[in-house]
Amino acid sequence: MDFQAIADHLSVAKVPGLLSVELPRSPDKKIKDKGRSGLPYVCLDPSCIVEFLMFCRDDEALGFEVLVDLTASDPSSDDENLWILVQLLSVRHRHRLGIKCILPKSALSMPSSTKVYRAAQWHERECMEMYGVTFEDHPDPRNMLLPDDWVGYPMRKDYVFPKEYHGISCE
Amino acid sequence: MGILEEAFEENVLTTRVDWLLNWAKLNSIWPMTFGLACCAIEMMAVGAAHHDIDRFGAGAFRATPRQADLMIVAGTVNFKMGERVKRLYEQMPSPKYVIAMGACATGGGPYFKYGYTVMKGVDRIIPVDVYIAGCPPRPEALLEGLMTLQDKIRRTPVIRKPARLQPADLA
Amino acid sequence: MTSPTEAEHKPSIRPADESRTLPSGEREFFMDVATSDLEVNMGPQHPATHGVMRVLLRTDGELVTGAQPHLGYLHRCAEKIGENVEWLQYLPYTDRYDYLSAMNNNLSYSLAVEALMPELEIPRRGTMIRMICAEMNRIASHLVAFGTYGLDIGAFTPFFYAFREREWIQALFEKICGARLTYSYIRIGGVFNDTPPGWLQEVADFCDVFEEKWQEYYDLLIENHIFVQRTANVGVISEEMAYDFGLTGPMLRGSGVDFDLRRDMPYLEYGQAYDAGAFRVPIGTGEKGTVGDCWDRTQVRMVEMKECLGLVRWCLEQIEPGPVIGDVPKVIKVPPGEAYVGIENPRGELGHYMHSDGGKIATRCRVRAPSFVNLAVLEDLMPGTLLADSVAIIGSTDIVIGETDR
Repeated sequence: MDFQAIADHLSVAKVPGLLSVELPRSPDKKIKDKGRSGLPYVCLDPSCIVEFLMFCRDDEALGFEVLVDLTASDPSSDDENLWILVQLLSVRHRHRLGIKCILPKSALSMPSSTKVYRAAQWHERECMEMYGVTFEDHPDPRNMLLPDDWVGYPMRKDYVFPKEYHGISCE
Repeated sequence: MGILEEAFEENVLTTRVDWLLNWAKLNSIWPMTFGLACCAIEMMAVGAAHHDIDRFGAGAFRATPRQADLMIVAGTVNFKMGERVKRLYEQMPSPKYVIAMGACATGGGPYFKYGYTVMKGVDRIIPVDVYIAGCPPRPEALLEGLMTLQDKIRRTPVIRKPARLQPADLA
Repeated sequence: MTSPTEAEHKPSIRPADESRTLPSGEREFFMDVATSDLEVNMGPQHPATHGVMRVLLRTDGELVTGAQPHLGYLHRCAEKIGENVEWLQYLPYTDRYDYLSAMNNNLSYSLAVEALMPELEIPRRGTMIRMICAEMNRIASHLVAFGTYGLDIGAFTPFFYAFREREWIQALFEKICGARLTYSYIRIGGVFNDTPPGWLQEVADFCDVFEEKWQEYYDLLIENHIFVQRTANVGVISEEMAYDFGLTGPMLRGSGVDFDLRRDMPYLEYGQAYDAGAFRVPIGTGEKGTVGDCWDRTQVRMVEMKECLGLVRWCLEQIEPGPVIGDVPKVIKVPPGEAYVGIENPRGELGHYMHSDGGKIATRCRVRAPSFVNLAVLEDLMPGTLLADSVAIIGSTDIVIGETDR
């Protein structure tokens, strides 16, 4: 199915949490819109992510068996939101779906998708240490890539590079 | 060498003994398998048949530092790994040598500016004898580095007293 | 994984009336000895972990009861760097995550950025050269997998043969772009420069020679009785487990799933190549043991190497003179937007998610590394196996730590 068919199927099935559908659009000088190129995605309410992913996985027509990627993004240091981005892949139907959830930086917490896809476990651990997002009920919330005593969330735009670590200069 | 080390003045006999001891050492430097990143692949290529490191006597790669003479730090060292590098260096018995292979081990490499967790050169934690430039260095460059190390060993006084600058020389 | 308490260490001796005297005159006592599991660190410096990875093994003698991979020993902040350097300046960093298949990494990044630039035309010759380089790199990468897996299992000869063939491929790549390992050759808009004269003929010669050698290597290692016994029925990944863990690439195909991004969600001209019969997709069939065991995955990689030759030959027939790079300005400014593009890396699906706000520097450059995802399966796969099998399982996942840690 192409993206439009997937989006229609999702809205017809009244899946909880579906907010909007973002398609690429050309720039429009009249409304000062720089446009959006690239690939389409679906916007989701973060608190409903577990039900949404379960629907995507179990529905016959969608059949997204594989969670390809779960990550976060900090669009800019002025922006008060973080984005959580999920990519799904269906092996038998040969289609993909991109999902975006918007979390306010003041309340960075959402349910963990580990119950639905085991692949999410390590991706969420990385998000937790890099961005400071909290995934509730995560079975193993340790640091993944950074040392255990690392201070700060490196991938945020307002991260200050450290000057030294354990006595060794970082310059 | 115990009590014989640096005990004798430089004369014909001690020079010949030193030459013999150094000749034995430099023709049988056994490296430790310490490939960290991309440079490790070029190190493996040096160990393979085309650019043979065994003809320099250095073909017996030991997995344990306790049996190795040489640590070729091939790849990027970050803070998490740096503690282990230091421990491995301390586990090697003297006389031991370190070759910093590649740009990352020499001075941080391409990760110099924005790598917050990359150590800018392995010489911040262990003493390095030879630096090899390249990203990754060609296998021939690694062999040249090894030959430079062999030159260094050739010049090392073992039972002779090393030539030290005396105040009388400056007058 | 907590440490065992003191109470578990003390052996207990049953009372003396439970002893007996043997005919030889000796007394035989009965003792209950309680053992505790030993926690062993495998790595970060270890000859068989394919780089700097630490696996905290909990073992009960020879049996592994728990395995916990610890990563981060090669974390080089590639994603943060992507947010600080320009679009073209980031290309050398893409080489260095999966350093064994640098051409494919460059290709994934370039396709992701080109998805944000729909007006950019990529000339056909550029596409053909991209395909040839990507497939040759797949052969080189699978050769390392084959050679080092043999080394882990204990066979020294395949390593030397694999690196001999790799030297030829690396010499070919050196002629075309100047580097042996980290190429930065496939760029946004095409490839960097055209092939030198005689290069295409040399690639054709390589294909002919490699085809004979391939059969030799297959019989040497893959059909070897000892190798089969070490890898068949070991580390079985079922189809449901593969889907749940998000596995892609030979890990997924080894479990019997017929899915290859080159054929099923084609990019470049792989779709046309498949329709013309240039390559087939091998899947694991459980020939020597169970579907989804280590032997299946290794066999998928070996057969993929052979299929790459067919692809390279098809590209050599199709290639025509022309420009190799599209109309790309010196300083690239990508229109605002977001795109995720995943391609078939030798290890699985390498995806780049790029977010641009219209400037010279990316806002978000996310790398979905196949080895990172493939490695998670170790936590569930290793408990219950023998210690010697753990090496076989880690080798069959074919991970590259540069990619796992980025």
